[in-house]
Amino acid sequence: MVVDPNGKNFFANVRILELAGELGGYTGKLFANLGADVIRIELPDGDPTRHERPFIEGAPDKEKSIRYQYLNTNKRGVVLDLTKPEGKDIFYKLVKTADCLIEGFAPGYMDSLGLGYEQLNEFNPKLVYTAITPYGQNGPYKDYPYSDLISMAMGGFLFLAGNGDNKPCLAPDKQSYFMADLYAAYGGIVAMYHADNTGEGQFVDVSVQESVATALENAIQTFDLEGKIRRAFGAVEAGTGTYLCQDGYVYMMAAMGTNSYLWDPVVKWLIEEKIPDAELLSGKEWLDPNFRRIEQNKATFKRIFEHFSKQHTKNYLYVEGQKRKAVIYPVNSAKDVLENEQLLSREFFKKLAVEHLGKTVTYPGSPFRLEKMPWALKQSAPVFGQDTERILAECKYSDSQIKSLAERGVIYVK
Amino acid sequence: MSNKLPLQGIRITDFSWVGAGPTTTRTLAEYGAEVIKIESSKRPEILRLTGPFRDAIPGVNRSGYFSNRNPNKKSLDLNMKHPKARDLVVDLIKKSDIIINNFTLGVMEKWDLGYEDVKKINPQIIYVTMPSQGSTGPHADYMGFGGTMSALVGINYLSGFPEGEPFGTGTNYPDHVPNPAHTAFGIMAALWYRKKTGEGQYLEIAQTETSLNFLPTAVMNYSLNDEILERIGNRNLNAAPHGVYTTLGNSRWIAIAAFTEQEWTGIKQVMGFPAWADADKFATLDHRLKNQDELDASIEEWTKGHDGYQLMNKLVQAGVRAGVVQNPKDLLEDPNLIARNFYKYLDHPEMRRHVYNITPCHLSKTPGQLTSPAPLIGEHTDEVLREVLGLSEKEIQVLKAQDVVG
Repeated sequence: MVVDPNGKNFFANVRILELAGELGGYTGKLFANLGADVIRIELPDGDPTRHERPFIEGAPDKEKSIRYQYLNTNKRGVVLDLTKPEGKDIFYKLVKTADCLIEGFAPGYMDSLGLGYEQLNEFNPKLVYTAITPYGQNGPYKDYPYSDLISMAMGGFLFLAGNGDNKPCLAPDKQSYFMADLYAAYGGIVAMYHADNTGEGQFVDVSVQESVATALENAIQTFDLEGKIRRAFGAVEAGTGTYLCQDGYVYMMAAMGTNSYLWDPVVKWLIEEKIPDAELLSGKEWLDPNFRRIEQNKATFKRIFEHFSKQHTKNYLYVEGQKRKAVIYPVNSAKDVLENEQLLSREFFKKLAVEHLGKTVTYPGSPFRLEKMPWALKQSAPVFGQDTERILAECKYSDSQIKSLAERGVIYVK
Repeated sequence: MSNKLPLQGIRITDFSWVGAGPTTTRTLAEYGAEVIKIESSKRPEILRLTGPFRDAIPGVNRSGYFSNRNPNKKSLDLNMKHPKARDLVVDLIKKSDIIINNFTLGVMEKWDLGYEDVKKINPQIIYVTMPSQGSTGPHADYMGFGGTMSALVGINYLSGFPEGEPFGTGTNYPDHVPNPAHTAFGIMAALWYRKKTGEGQYLEIAQTETSLNFLPTAVMNYSLNDEILERIGNRNLNAAPHGVYTTLGNSRWIAIAAFTEQEWTGIKQVMGFPAWADADKFATLDHRLKNQDELDASIEEWTKGHDGYQLMNKLVQAGVRAGVVQNPKDLLEDPNLIARNFYKYLDHPEMRRHVYNITPCHLSKTPGQLTSPAPLIGEHTDEVLREVLGLSEKEIQVLKAQDVVG
């Protein structure tokens, strides 16, 4: 949670309600990072993220999904059956106190429960209602089922991850959900800023497909302006892409258009190291992208460069390369990332002892650094039903009412 | 609907260039911020020189790579090598709410426009800087690009087929979403803080650190379970089948995913319940996960004779998650994106009518607006000097004669 050096936290009185689903978890996390009170509302059958592999120690356990643990730090958790009238009453009370609601149900589902934007707006006209859906609230695909793979395919990102007629490959960790969640946070905070100025809330409609389609570099424009269909850059030219080294691979960029500033340092280095045939690469023809695209020339570069790179580790090539202005980056595994000197120096990764897991967990730290709003890891992801009792008490439910609601399955109290 | 956009009245002095910075400021410009892009016609930024170009003819005002990152902005052609240029920037900073750059470390400081200098000029300023690996630490001044950062943070290691080399995303991915959208969110948090306190602040975004917030699983899994995750192509630990399968046509594929038994039954139904699919080895998710090579081969045998879109519609109707691997042409013709006005075509003096996409948050009462195409280089120099800095025509002519502005 964020507290400024003078002890003021300007997000502490901001309340975000998040309906637990596969979408929206990162949206809420971004607000929780700022110090907002983020209440994650789970339905009695639980957050689907709790059942995702991999798990801590391997075996399925609803408190041990790594993705769940990551997405829900600094939040409070309540379990509430929104399909029951009494559950809705509790929800209405929370909505009255909220600045923003985040949900990722199918279009129309919340309306069918009587909890759609129009209905909630009556309780709280300032409410920002942020809905994240695979294809948006309208359009012919709005009810189509989805997953990350499907959204990456339909959003055009997957196609770019391949060359020629090669099958494309998916990026890790459900990037489509992260992109949509992040745009939802941006749209949400812009709408909240407006609501704070004017008292006027609104509906924010975020589509996963559209979010993915903003990540296509220049592919849409390449078709619109030149009528060409592009796929991956990299690996199509000598000097750009993935090469073998002693302990794995490096990814290098030694070529950009007709510029020589990336190419020359690499060739100079290879000549210094007396690599056979390195002089071949110093000819002017190598500065022509069309020349570099010829298969035989790609093979020549690869043969000469890998003769050198296979003798060295990825980290050596990276660090020594930078001293010579050669851009050669390590293809890092998770272990390499955790041991990266730069990230360690900036204390990027944060640790927290999590009692119920009996573990100290390492998390990625803040995505940005605000001078007056320092980020801190305050609490781990909520255990199922962890804050139900406390939050109902805050809504002025008595102990006996809470007990009765729990007995009738309207809420779950840990 | 409100007449006033949320960020109307917010002015940004924009020194950013190439990918992540300009994408950040265009998302703010869509919601009403006034973005003044500082450029130099003597040294146009790299994206103005990078294709695609209108009619494939290069030109500083013809790049679509540049244009989609810069609609709604004003271009001020300023020669920062001239000593008087800094005075104009100082005046602009006094009238701005935000200043942003994504230069390598030290460029702004060289002009005496580092945070310490700028906050003396305007104590309420929000100062945004985007060094690729942060402003501190042993690698702070390393050269790199979005594509190389992807390798550094672990995207490439986990993208690709197990039998092949690590591939990556085929793009400079961190530049396009993780970095700019986090920056825009961070700026909004700083604006919120300023609204409550009247104080500006410093905001730093490291590309590595935004990207790692999108890649938690592998690092957390290694630290908790002492196990390095490896690339698995298009597979998924929670679903089978889960892959990309060939359909009719060149470079045409369909993505299909079955997380539940019901979804697997749906696939079997659309396939017409072939005998092979009822074998014991495919009877449960665990069985299907264990026998994926054979499962994928059998499914592909079936898909390769079908049209992707027809297959998608049949599978979707049977409750199966399926989608065509759409190429850029498909995307421009996608009926869902068109129905939702994801694209906007704007007229440009040199590029004529061409396509832009919106930032994908549809705000019901204050929707983002794309009102003007990317600026010609220096298009708004006179306007900015006159209307923002209050200079007379005579003063402007003197600055031009002295080669301070273009």
